[in-house]
Amino acid sequence: MTALLTIRGLNIDFGGTRPAVDDISLDVDRGEVVALVGESGSGKSMTARAVLGLLPDSATATGSILLDGTELLGASERELDAVRGTKVSLIFQEPQSALNPVRRIGWQIREALRAHTRISKSEARARAIELLEQVEIPDPQRRVDYYPHQLSGGQKQRVAIALALAGEPDLLIADEPTTALDVTVQAEILTLLDRIRARTGMGILLITHNMGVVAQHADRVVVLRAGEIVETGSTHTVFDAPTHPYTRDLLAAVPRLPDHPEPVVVPDTAAKADTDVVLRFEDVSVTYPATRGNPAFRAVESVDLTVRRGEVLGLVGESGSGKTTLGRVAAGLVAATEGTVLIEGRDLSAIDARELRALRRDVAVVQQDPATSLDPRLTIGASIREPLDVHKIGSPAERRTRVAELLEAVRLPAAFADRLPHQLSGGQRQRVALARALALRPRLIIADEPTSALDVSVQAEVLELFAQIQSELGFACVFISHDLAVVHQVADRVMVLRAGRVVETGPVGEVFTAPRDPYTRALVEAVPDPDPSRRPLEVAGLEPAGV
Amino acid sequence: MSVVTEVTTDKDTATGSDRTSSWAALRSGRGLVGAVLVGLVVLAGLLAPILAPFAPDQQIPGAALQAPSGDHLLGTDSVGRDVLSRTLYGIRIDLLVIFLAVPAGAAIGSILGLVATRYHWLDTAMQRSFDLILAFPTIILAIALTMVIGPGVWTIATVIILAEVPVFGRLTRTAVLTVRQSPYVEAARAIGADEGWILRRHVLPNCLEPLTVQLALAMSVGVFIEGAMSFLGLGVVPPTPSLGSLIKEGTQNAYHSPFFVVGPLTVVLVLVLGLLLISQALAARSRQR
Repeated sequence: MTALLTIRGLNIDFGGTRPAVDDISLDVDRGEVVALVGESGSGKSMTARAVLGLLPDSATATGSILLDGTELLGASERELDAVRGTKVSLIFQEPQSALNPVRRIGWQIREALRAHTRISKSEARARAIELLEQVEIPDPQRRVDYYPHQLSGGQKQRVAIALALAGEPDLLIADEPTTALDVTVQAEILTLLDRIRARTGMGILLITHNMGVVAQHADRVVVLRAGEIVETGSTHTVFDAPTHPYTRDLLAAVPRLPDHPEPVVVPDTAAKADTDVVLRFEDVSVTYPATRGNPAFRAVESVDLTVRRGEVLGLVGESGSGKTTLGRVAAGLVAATEGTVLIEGRDLSAIDARELRALRRDVAVVQQDPATSLDPRLTIGASIREPLDVHKIGSPAERRTRVAELLEAVRLPAAFADRLPHQLSGGQRQRVALARALALRPRLIIADEPTSALDVSVQAEVLELFAQIQSELGFACVFISHDLAVVHQVADRVMVLRAGRVVETGPVGEVFTAPRDPYTRALVEAVPDPDPSRRPLEVAGLEPAGV
Repeated sequence: MSVVTEVTTDKDTATGSDRTSSWAALRSGRGLVGAVLVGLVVLAGLLAPILAPFAPDQQIPGAALQAPSGDHLLGTDSVGRDVLSRTLYGIRIDLLVIFLAVPAGAAIGSILGLVATRYHWLDTAMQRSFDLILAFPTIILAIALTMVIGPGVWTIATVIILAEVPVFGRLTRTAVLTVRQSPYVEAARAIGADEGWILRRHVLPNCLEPLTVQLALAMSVGVFIEGAMSFLGLGVVPPTPSLGSLIKEGTQNAYHSPFFVVGPLTVVLVLVLGLLLISQALAARSRQR
C-alpha cells in the first residue's frame, strides 16, 4: 500500500551557495507520526511549506511530492487549493498568527468549512461546535462566539487545530505546534493530537527541534541538518542506537531530567553565616500599576528568597509565574511594591542613589534574546566595555585589555572586539552578553532565560561555558528558565513559581525527582522525556504504523 | 519574534563588511549616482559667478525670447535675460532651502520630538499641535503665510520649516520611544547607566538613521515647495531668479519659446532625483542591519 505522503529527491534552492533543502526523501503513512527534526536552518519548515505549495516566489523546487498519488510539486494553484485543507492541513507555531483577531472563532471555522463545501450557516455553526468539542475546548457552545483574545495560548492552538481539521484532512503538518506554549499546555496539545490521530487515522508530519517531544510522540524520525537528511528510522532505533555522529551529538546535547533521586550534595559551607548571603528577598510583592485599559496586576506575591555566594538558584515556572519580574527586581530594574530586597545585606530602599549605583556594579544581567540585547550600532568591544565606561574604571588601555581577557574567558577570538552584533551568530552574541556581564566581576548574575532562544547544541555549549565560568569565578546566580532540564543542569537549588507565588523550594535533585507539591509534580511530568522507551502506556497502546 | 529564532550554528558567521558609517551607502550604486547628481547641481550653483556667461539680471536689448543659440545656450527670457545664467543663479535659492531651511526644520522638529517623550502632558500637547499643522495642505499654509508676511525667500523658508517640524517631531518621538524600550537599553540601565548616558550612547545614535533617511527625502520635498510657491508667485520676488519662478516664466512663454522651460525643469528633476536616490540608498542600508 502506497504511503499517504511520498517525498522524493526534494530540492529547494534560493539561488544561494547551498540549496536550502538538498535531496530529501521521506514517507508518511496514514495513522503514523513522523517527526522532522533539526536545528535552525536545517530546512524542516521549508519542506513543510513545499508540500502545501507555500514556498516564497524566490524559491525553485524540484523533485516529487506525492500525496495519495497526486503530484503536488509544480501543481497549479487550483489543484493545490483543492488539496489544502481537505487532504492536507498545516498548523503553525504561533497560534495568534493563525487566527484573525477581529473575527469570532465560530466565524473563522465556518469560513474554513465553506471554503471547501456548500454548507448552510446553521449547519456550519453546529459543525464548528462539534470541532471545538473534538479539540477538547470546554463549553464549546459559548466559546464558539468568543474572539481570539479571549482565549489562552493553549486554547488558541486548539482552535487552530480545529480549523485544520475542518476539512477532514488525511495528513496534518504541524510546524513547531507547541514551541510557543507552556510545558504543561504543550503536553495537553500533543496528547490531543495523539487522540485525534487514533480516532481518525490521520497521518501527522511533526516538525520540531525538541527531542523530548519526538521521543514521546513520534513513530519515526527524520533528522535534518543543513538541508540534508543525516539519519532516519523508527524513534526507538534512532534514539537508542544513533548511527550518524550529528544525531549522536544532538541527542547528547539534550538536557535531561533525572529519573531517580540523586544523592543531595550537602554544601560544605556548614556555617551559613549571613555575610554569605548575596541576595535576599523578604516578603517581596510586586504590583504593576494600572494603565489605561489594564487593571493593576499582581505579578509577585509574598516571595522569600535567599541566594548565597557561589550558589546558583534556579527560578522555574510557566508564563505569568512572576519569575522574570523577580529577576528584574533583583537587577534593580523594577521596584518591589512591598517587602524588603537586600543585596549583600543592604536594603535597596534605604540607600541613596550613589550607593545604589555602586551596588549595581555587583549585580549583572544576561538577557534572553541575543538578537536585541546588544546595541546594534556598537562594536562588540564597545558593548563589553560599557560597564567599565559607565563606572569609569581603569584607563582606556586597561579597559581594552580587560575586554580582551573577557573575550578569551568566553572562548571568542579577540578579533571579535571590532565586529558588530549582526555579524555574529546567536550563540556567539550570547557569549558576548555573558562577557559584558562579567566585566565588573559581579557577585551576582541574573540570567533570564539565557539559552531559550538558542538551538539545542548551541545551548549545550553556552551552558557548559557558563557552568565552567561560574565555578571558576564563584559568583552567585539567579537562573530563570521555563526549561526544567536546563535548570537541573546548572542550578544547585530551585524555586518553583506559579502565578506569582512560591510553590516549592529545595535542592535541584530533590525537587525534580521527588516533588512534594502537586503543581511541581505536574510540571515535571509534563516535560517530554527524551527517552522513547518511557512512553506512558496509554499512548504506547496506539498502533504505531511504521515500526 | 518566535522562540525558535533563525540563528545558525556556532561557526564563524562573519557576513558583510564592518562599515559602520551610513555614508558608505553613498559610495556605490544608487547612493553614488544620487550623490553625483546632487553634487553637480550644487557645484553649478556655487560656481554660478564663474560659469554664468552673463549677469542674471542683465537685459540684452533686442534679444527677447530667443531660442537656444551659441551665445545663449538656453535662450533668453521675455526681457532679454540669459536663461542659463538665471538658472545657475536660481539654483542658489534652492541650495539655501536644502541646506538651511530643511535642516533647520528637521532640527527643531527632532528636538521637540525628543523633549516630548519626557513628559506625557507635553507629548500630548505637541502631538495635537503637529496634527493641526499637518491637517493643512502645504500650499494652503504657504498662501496663508504669504498673506501675512508677504512673499520672499524667508516665507519659503518658514513654510518649509513649518512643514518639516511635525514630520521630524513624530519620527523622532517614535524612534526614541522604541529605542528606549529595547533590551539593550534595559541592559545599560541594569549596568547602572543614567538617562544622559543612555540618551547619548544608545538612543540618539540609533535614532539618527531613520532621521537621516527622512532628511534626504525632506530636501527633495523642499525643492518642490520652493518650486510650487515660486510658481504660484508666493515665493521669490522678481527679479530674483529661482528655479520655480523660472519654470513659471517658461510655462507662461511656452508658446513663443518652448525651450525656455527645459533648462530649469531639468535642473529641478536632476536635483530631486538625486536626493531621492540618496534617500533610498540610506533607507536600503538601514534595512540591512
